[in-house]
Amino acid sequence: MASGNAPAVLGGGDASDAVDPVTLATVDAPGSRDGEVTLPAPDRPTFVDFFATWCKPCIEQMPDLAAAHERIGDEVLFVSVTPEDVGGAVSEEAVADWWREHDGDWLVAADVTAELAARLNVGGYPSARSIDATGRVRWATSGTHTTEEFVSGIERALDR
Amino acid sequence: MDRRTYLRSLAAGAGVGATVGTAGCLGVLGDSGAEGTVLGPPELDLSEASHPSYGDEMPEFTAPDPITGEEVSVADFEGERAVLWTSFYTNCPDGVCPALILRLRRAQAVAADPTGRNPEYPFVPPQIRDTIGPEAYSDEVAFLPTTFDPERDDAEALREYAGRQGVDLDAGNWHFLRPESYERARELHDEQFGLAIEKQPAEDIENLEYRFPHYGLIILANKRGVVERAYPRGPQTDIERLVDDVQRVVTA
Repeated sequence: MASGNAPAVLGGGDASDAVDPVTLATVDAPGSRDGEVTLPAPDRPTFVDFFATWCKPCIEQMPDLAAAHERIGDEVLFVSVTPEDVGGAVSEEAVADWWREHDGDWLVAADVTAELAARLNVGGYPSARSIDATGRVRWATSGTHTTEEFVSGIERALDR
Repeated sequence: MDRRTYLRSLAAGAGVGATVGTAGCLGVLGDSGAEGTVLGPPELDLSEASHPSYGDEMPEFTAPDPITGEEVSVADFEGERAVLWTSFYTNCPDGVCPALILRLRRAQAVAADPTGRNPEYPFVPPQIRDTIGPEAYSDEVAFLPTTFDPERDDAEALREYAGRQGVDLDAGNWHFLRPESYERARELHDEQFGLAIEKQPAEDIENLEYRFPHYGLIILANKRGVVERAYPRGPQTDIERLVDDVQRVVTA
């Protein structure tokens, strides 16, 4: 990670604030469909994985994400989001190919202007956010994780 | 135009066609900010840091943009564009550089479409904003990510990197700067920005011969060439706050 001698600057933004929803285009890929999705979902918990097709650690964590999706995917809107310029510099087919190759089987969306990444203050890839049904972030992390970590991170956004 | 001439022309123009928003900004300028700044002092005083910070002059340096083939001088933007600067390299094995570039790229997207993409626009109430703007300000800001790894970051590598990071190279406001040599890159970062850059072996990372432990610094300077903000923890900097800072500085 980056090192620096300079003092820390506050990140800003109150973690208890609800995130304003953003509507993104979805990608036609296994488990996904061509259309739109509003994130975070207005009425239920949401789990967002930020990945990119050029990101090697994102490949490494796909089996754990898939296992987490298998276990708890029904209880949240479970979605992977790429900040790439899908439809521009990166084709939709390239994203779908990557998805197929790494056994993705859930919703994939494209954040082409990085609007959702900005609202959720993404600091690198992969990153993940669990957001509760009221739109508040309950788990924010970057780097790869085990299946157990994903499941318990997602559970933080569930009211039970 | 040098800084003094610019300040004079600003003062001369302030009475003519100044909007309510502009008057508000100038008020901030006179009240509590450092000389020549739009924003008030940052929450955290960084004036003791080795890098430039609030109220300092933006370092003036010249470096080639290998994609456009131009020599880009920071001084040329004075009076014309605010500047958002960072340093990075495309082989960055961790997430730091993509996080820095994401922040610049988001500011670029908002500059191209401020009303559509920035609901937090600080000065104008929504109903007025919907009617009058703000207009796009892509031509009033320059993004200057500077590589400290010129040996590997040639035009082709940088162009590919722009594509995968979602950068709009056609907007005309984005210049990847590539110092002529590694030595020159080191010198520039050390002398102008107070950042020590050092190659280190990277045997632990596949396909990578060397890497750079580095700083995640982003600097925002206004059109007068005065630093408005230094974000030393650039990769963690709140993106919407940074974008708002840029917009306030550019549209002041």
